[in-house]
Amino acid sequence: MHIPDGILPAWLWISGFGLMAVFLAIALFRLRAMDRRRNIPLLGAVAAAMLVAMSLEILPLAYHLNLSVVAGILLGPSLGFTAAFIVNVMLALMGHGGITVIGLNTILLGTEAVLGHTFFFFLPVRMPVFWRAAVATVLALCAATLLLIAIVGISHVDSSLMEAGHEQVGSPVPPSAPERGSLVPFAVVVLSLGAIGWLIEGAITGAIIRFIARVKPDLLAHILHRQTCAGDAKRCPS
Amino acid sequence: MIDVARIDYWAANGSGRFHRASVLSKLLFVLCTVAAAIAAREPLPLAAGYAFLIVVAAASALPWRAIMLLSFYAAVFTLVYGFSLRARPAIYALLLLKAVTPACAVGMLITSTPYPRIFSFLSALLPEVLASGLFMTYRTLFILLDMMHQFATAIRIRGGFSPGNLVKNSASIAKGIGALLVRAVERSQRLFAVMSVRGYSGSMAGRAAGGLGRHDWLPLGAGGCMLALSLAWR
Repeated sequence: MHIPDGILPAWLWISGFGLMAVFLAIALFRLRAMDRRRNIPLLGAVAAAMLVAMSLEILPLAYHLNLSVVAGILLGPSLGFTAAFIVNVMLALMGHGGITVIGLNTILLGTEAVLGHTFFFFLPVRMPVFWRAAVATVLALCAATLLLIAIVGISHVDSSLMEAGHEQVGSPVPPSAPERGSLVPFAVVVLSLGAIGWLIEGAITGAIIRFIARVKPDLLAHILHRQTCAGDAKRCPS
Repeated sequence: MIDVARIDYWAANGSGRFHRASVLSKLLFVLCTVAAAIAAREPLPLAAGYAFLIVVAAASALPWRAIMLLSFYAAVFTLVYGFSLRARPAIYALLLLKAVTPACAVGMLITSTPYPRIFSFLSALLPEVLASGLFMTYRTLFILLDMMHQFATAIRIRGGFSPGNLVKNSASIAKGIGALLVRAVERSQRLFAVMSVRGYSGSMAGRAAGGLGRHDWLPLGAGGCMLALSLAWR
């Protein structure tokens, strides 16, 4: 998901920034009452762990982890989305992902965190923690990959149709129809490679959450965790 | 692998013209290069611009080979994106250059500017939670990278790493990351306690927007040249 600068049309990444700003505003509004002194160090620790995990390659597939679902489960959706933004800013400042697409990349990574958290809590409590986390991860990554394909698909739409005659700036694709190409080969490549990645990420996320549940279970019963359970105390792991 | 520690070393220890320039001028340089990449409709001006950036990097005593390698990483997603297009070779060349040229500019920024100075600048523009989160992430990142390096060494010595054995490697990595996360959270809690003793109340010091100075002519000039080249070629 390291979309670089310059390959997506300007209207799309500007919309991405707009959407990201809205989602971040909602997240920060929900976090206005949090204990900053406790949660900001936690946010930094989890975001840094995500960056470290992204630097590890799993041989022989050269796949790297995201840990976005782990962040969602540990931090909750609002702080998880904030962690996704911080990770993407850091990645852009490391040359891994574009600056103009921080918005879209944050939406993709944030979607994984928010959906991962949501699926984890709505899966049956009687399921073992490993399987709850693994299934939540696979579902969240699948949804995020479909969103990525949708974004690439939208990028093929001729913006002149949407902008009613305004000049299209920044589109990499000239507006001739044959060059706008097909989404199918891209979707096939991304979904086939992605499916292997979902399974690896699901297995590792499941193992990490099971490890944390055994070694430091209070992390899964974090106060933020309870807050994001919307009052459903039975669903919060203790 | 992202070699953040080496990037940080280059940023903190250089003394070239780019190192002496202000954060604002270097961010403007990056923005101009990104705008040039967005505005470009031909591969040739971007190819010339990319070569120009490498020359500027070499002349400023920046690690230009590492910057080139870093910028090529941006080409990977572009190749995958290329699967979704049925385009002429020139369009693929344009796409690749649109990706690697801004990445090269970002490489020049980060190898000449320590991250805390960039965050300090961004703090003036971002909400408190995000600015503090960036600082805390940066601070924790190096501790965790060090711990992960030790973990990787330990796992190799104890035979936990087998090239080609996906299941075993995944299990080892999961346990390592789990332990890393637990340690990271414990460290963050300890850090929280230390910072509280020192008067931390939820906001970070060091917000500084900064201004332009006499050393800024090179990044501003290079950024202006990139943008002018791209616009003139349209």
